Amino acid sequence: MKTALEILRERFGDAIRKDLKGLAKQSHILVTKNEIVEITIFLVQNLRMRFLFLSGSDTRKENGAFTLHYIFSYAQQDEFLVVETRIEEKDPSFLSLSPFLPQANWQEREIQDLLGLIPKGHPDPRRLVLHEDWPEGLFPLRKDFKFQAKIPRQKGEYAFERVEGEGIFEIPVGPVHAGIIEPGHFRFSAAGESILKLEIRHFYTHKGTEKSGEGRSPAHLLCLAERISGDNSLAHVVACAQALETLAQIDVPPRAQFLRVVFLELERLHNHMSDIAGISLDVGFSFGASQLMRVKETLLRLNEQVAGTRLLRSAVPLGGVRADISEARKQWLMEQIKKIKEDFEKTIQILWQVDSLMDRIETTGILKKEIAETLGAVGPAARASGIDRDLRRDHPYGAYKDLFFMIPVFSDGDVESRMKVKVQEIYQSFKLIYDALRAMPQGSLRGEIKPLIPSQSALGYVESPRGECFHWISTDGHGKISRWKVQSPSFANWPLIEYAVLENIVPDFPLINKSLNLSYSGNDR
Amino acid sequence: MNPVLLSFLQLLFLMILAPAISWFIKKMKAASQNRIGPKLAQVYADLWKLCRKDMVISETASWIFHAMPFVLFAATLAAASMVPILWNHSLFGFMGDAILFVYLLALGRFFIALAALDTGTTFGGMGSSREMTLSSIAEPALLLSFFALGFHARTLSLEGMTAHFANASSLQILFFTSLAFGSLLIVTIAESGRIPVDNPATHLELTMIHEAMILEYSGRYLALIEWGHQIKQLVFLTLLADFFFPWGIATTGGAAALGLSLVFYLAKVFGLAFVIGWIEIHSAKLRLFRAPDLLTVAFVLAILSLLGQLIIGRGV
Repeated sequence: MKTALEILRERFGDAIRKDLKGLAKQSHILVTKNEIVEITIFLVQNLRMRFLFLSGSDTRKENGAFTLHYIFSYAQQDEFLVVETRIEEKDPSFLSLSPFLPQANWQEREIQDLLGLIPKGHPDPRRLVLHEDWPEGLFPLRKDFKFQAKIPRQKGEYAFERVEGEGIFEIPVGPVHAGIIEPGHFRFSAAGESILKLEIRHFYTHKGTEKSGEGRSPAHLLCLAERISGDNSLAHVVACAQALETLAQIDVPPRAQFLRVVFLELERLHNHMSDIAGISLDVGFSFGASQLMRVKETLLRLNEQVAGTRLLRSAVPLGGVRADISEARKQWLMEQIKKIKEDFEKTIQILWQVDSLMDRIETTGILKKEIAETLGAVGPAARASGIDRDLRRDHPYGAYKDLFFMIPVFSDGDVESRMKVKVQEIYQSFKLIYDALRAMPQGSLRGEIKPLIPSQSALGYVESPRGECFHWISTDGHGKISRWKVQSPSFANWPLIEYAVLENIVPDFPLINKSLNLSYSGNDR
Repeated sequence: MNPVLLSFLQLLFLMILAPAISWFIKKMKAASQNRIGPKLAQVYADLWKLCRKDMVISETASWIFHAMPFVLFAATLAAASMVPILWNHSLFGFMGDAILFVYLLALGRFFIALAALDTGTTFGGMGSSREMTLSSIAEPALLLSFFALGFHARTLSLEGMTAHFANASSLQILFFTSLAFGSLLIVTIAESGRIPVDNPATHLELTMIHEAMILEYSGRYLALIEWGHQIKQLVFLTLLADFFFPWGIATTGGAAALGLSLVFYLAKVFGLAFVIGWIEIHSAKLRLFRAPDLLTVAFVLAILSLLGQLIIGRGV
């Protein structure tokens, strides 16, 4: 059987300039910039690869041009394909993928804002990450941008897309909200109570996290990764650690791999618990909300006892894990998990029987499979719309390949389906924790730390509670971190909400939003 | 005791008791959530706190915004003063009947909806439109259940109706009027802005009805609105108690009769508040477009009550 690379070479010949050496499970090719769209179409349509994300970096010092990395997943063979292309400074533009692949929309606009490379033929070239008050011609991800520089503000206004007609009005919501949540703006165009269009405007909390990671030590980078999205701290840190471990060829001992699974599933548990509680709260059924929040608190305290911190921060350093779970502790933890499971089960049985709650969540916020597929949905949101996609199975990392678990998929795409996916995932997480604790081999907790390989890039990935979380790290000639790209699940999933709310009424928006439960900070970075 | 003074005192009593009913429901909800809930003094302290706080008022607010809390409070109080509470007379009972009662409440509602539009904020208009949509069904349902009860009592005066039901033998008031009870109970839930129609505890502006209209209010004005709302809630509970559980209401101004009436009254309104709280705990909020369905049920129940009596006779 021919490899994907051979097929590509046959098909495109000269456009495939070089086959670069890639690290574990990553094939890496360099192509000319004008063929990128055709190659992508070929990869996606003929080879059934999935476009994951796009990362741009300023490599003018190393090779005199900007570099774009298009990352594809080839799930059948558990491989990733990295397509690299160079963009000269004198012609800072590239062909846009968005008309063909709408999920590239935000990706390309982010590159445009942060690197100053223009996606030609992009259907919506408005600003995204840097708002209109950011001065023209200043691109933070370029190496000549000073991170500490004081940036003057300029005047500018974002043009919302207007829906016009008799009786149609706009409802601006945010960026400051009533609850204790992060900022984000939602602009509804409504006729009466029906939503005709929703436009979201985010990135109010863009902190330049990726930029601030450049040149840092791996340990420092992990600290930063931990702070990208509060409730998904561990998923980010493990993804980042995996990228660094691949880059430094560090072997993570098997015991640490299993412990990471335990911690990751503990994180999924408390996230899903709070999501389901949120759904219950937003329909005004406070009994379910407070019972599940109580279970969540039990889980957080359990985290603190097991790993030392409630949100599992600092649990995972480079090369392994920090805290061990002793034999005696293991029994105790299994008992606790069993108790929590029973507690959860009781509450959820009650919730399924409350007709008024079911009436609110059924058929609310339907996200059609085609739309979810086109926009590159990930995580529970995708799995509730009938897309069978989970990194733990498709690209198994850590100890997941040694463990057996199911991936719940529901096809209605409404709030109920998303809730069902999360409930089933909670059961799978209980099982995974249980199995991982039992199957855990003896051994050391941390592998030997080695320096990063110079001039190389690596991908780290985790199926976080919200979905696929990727960390893409490149090193320069001295083995220092020169680019750190974070593809958080929220960045992939936020555009979905604009479609999930269509044909719904305004007062159902908070519920739909809660069922997707996306992170602002993870999105804005 | 002087009847006027007594009527006045019972109104004062209602005003003071009103926050306690809200406290009782809060306490019930807290119990269902494994929480302790607020102390009784807390609800009064909250009102007192609001009274002392500075107000933040939009620069674009017109006189309507300033007048609304007073109009709302006065209208609610005027409506309350037509309802017999501890004894079967009321302060303004001689002045008007059930129709005036409904329209006094409508006056308050009209002003609250207007004031919500006045500042031109996002959520105010949304709240007004929702409130008006729902009340266009709730109001007729309320009127019809008054008519049904009034037909039975052969009077539309709230005093007269109370006296009629207090004197009627208990079996007589059961059948058709109990349909009106269902109707009035649903209207009570809607008027006091409780689940399943509205959620008084939510922070999500997009889902609010009553709360959305008063988002711009703070300080003293907000205290007046909140208190007025609590009084309105208790007035509805009192009406339910007067018409459907008319036992023990004092017919004379004697101390013994009043004391007995007080015990009965407290048991009745807290019992009814328990029903409201129980419903609030056991159900989620309705989808906004389903709320009119519920109110239509109230409307139909009231019509059935009235028609049933017209066809079969008042005696059943």
